Amino acid sequence: MRYLSSLCVMTFMIAAFMCFSSNRSSAADVYDYDPVHSSVSFKARHLDISWIHGRFNDVSGKFSLDREDPSKSTFQLTIKTDSVDTANQARDEHLRQPDYFDTKQYPTIEFKSTSVKPITGGYEVTGDFTMHGTTNKITLVMMGGEEHDFKGVKRVAFSIEHALKRSDYGFDKKAIGPIGDKALIMIDCEGVRK
Amino acid sequence: MPEPLLYVKSMGVAAIVSAILMLTMSLVSKTANATWRSFSCTLAIGFGLAAGYHVLSLQLAWPPANALDRLLTIIVPVALGTELIAGVRPVPRWVGWLLRITLAVAIPRILLHGSVYLSGPDDGWTRWQAAALLVVSSVLLAAVWSLLSWLSQRSPGFSVPLSLCLSIQSAGMTVMMAGYIKGGAAAIPMVAALSAATIAAGLLSKRGETGLKLDAPVLLGIGVVSLFGLLFIGRFFGRISTTFALTMLLAPLLCWVTELPWLRHRKPALVGSLRLAFVSIPLIVVLLWAKRNFDREMSPLLVQTSAFTLQTY
Repeated sequence: MRYLSSLCVMTFMIAAFMCFSSNRSSAADVYDYDPVHSSVSFKARHLDISWIHGRFNDVSGKFSLDREDPSKSTFQLTIKTDSVDTANQARDEHLRQPDYFDTKQYPTIEFKSTSVKPITGGYEVTGDFTMHGTTNKITLVMMGGEEHDFKGVKRVAFSIEHALKRSDYGFDKKAIGPIGDKALIMIDCEGVRK
Repeated sequence: MPEPLLYVKSMGVAAIVSAILMLTMSLVSKTANATWRSFSCTLAIGFGLAAGYHVLSLQLAWPPANALDRLLTIIVPVALGTELIAGVRPVPRWVGWLLRITLAVAIPRILLHGSVYLSGPDDGWTRWQAAALLVVSSVLLAAVWSLLSWLSQRSPGFSVPLSLCLSIQSAGMTVMMAGYIKGGAAAIPMVAALSAATIAAGLLSKRGETGLKLDAPVLLGIGVVSLFGLLFIGRFFGRISTTFALTMLLAPLLCWVTELPWLRHRKPALVGSLRLAFVSIPLIVVLLWAKRNFDREMSPLLVQTSAFTLQTY
């Protein structure tokens, strides 16, 4: 009898632990990057008088949002460098070559978060940004994050603007020339989950 | 961005350093046997290249980050070392060729290291495709190398290494016109150092007992490896076509035309000139074609910001 009661207590404890664990894991909502309603674009100064705009057409990613404990949220984005598009085919071909993105050697640009901090209207996400074979720690301010339910599909959206220097990522200084060293990256992305 | 004045400076410095070293080495040892000539050539080309690249201020990464870094910081120095060892007289010839073939097998793999081509079928090629390309490339390199060496032994002279210089220069210009400026610029010190070392070695060999015989496998080795490396990078990382790359790699083999019976016993100067002329024909065709592509595709992107500087966009 005593043996049976201790078995029951143990079973209850295991069950309670499993429920607790499953509750904790379900607190984070996992979203897939929605390529149809998202864009990753950039602009760089031309001769310091105007801006050249471009975008990357092949992007994927995943983010999990833990609304109870935002520090446990994670963000990950992968951009295929071959998909660079500046509305000029010859320039795109040039940008794919080793003087610029070197897409055969460095096929992706990646961001992986390492820490997340909630701020008013969004999150401050610090992570490893890898481009052109060089990884630097950067902090992105991601505005948005409210969930919308449309026809049973839950969506969350973020807007990001981040300035970076190409020279910090091992781009050839001689290839910078009349295109400014500084580039502005603009990410407007939606994440979806059923 | 293309900087013609810097290219001229780099070319001049590489050529002067190579030539001065060759002459200095010949003064140090007047006997100039084959080992010493080989050692002199290796040293002259090595220092010529180093000086040329220093002036050119090519931004090379260590550890190497891309194919051009690997060519200039691993492959060319290893090729120089290989020729240095192979050129020492007590070393049997087969050992030298074993080293050269090992290098020929390793070069394509080293150049493609870490690229999409070897990352698996998701992004690049299947394992079989990658293996086939590596084997074909290595065989091609070894074949060109051995055929030119054979020809150089049958009828030595300036023309074989100079034909390689012509091909390297054309490869550099084609790679540059296809949009890979740094890759194309890398050819400049190679051509200058090799040409200067070849001419100096030729002039020095006139002094010796060998007459016009120019027996310096170093010149061929570095020339073939540099040519192959540039074209391979231009094809797989830049935007030059397979046809252009193969034409420029195989063009120096046209030197063999002068081995035809009615040309073979002509004067060495005539044979040398004919060889360079034969090699130049496909190279000129490729250059004209590359220029046409450049005018059509890349030229509209260029802005001339000063008399000597072209900058993109």
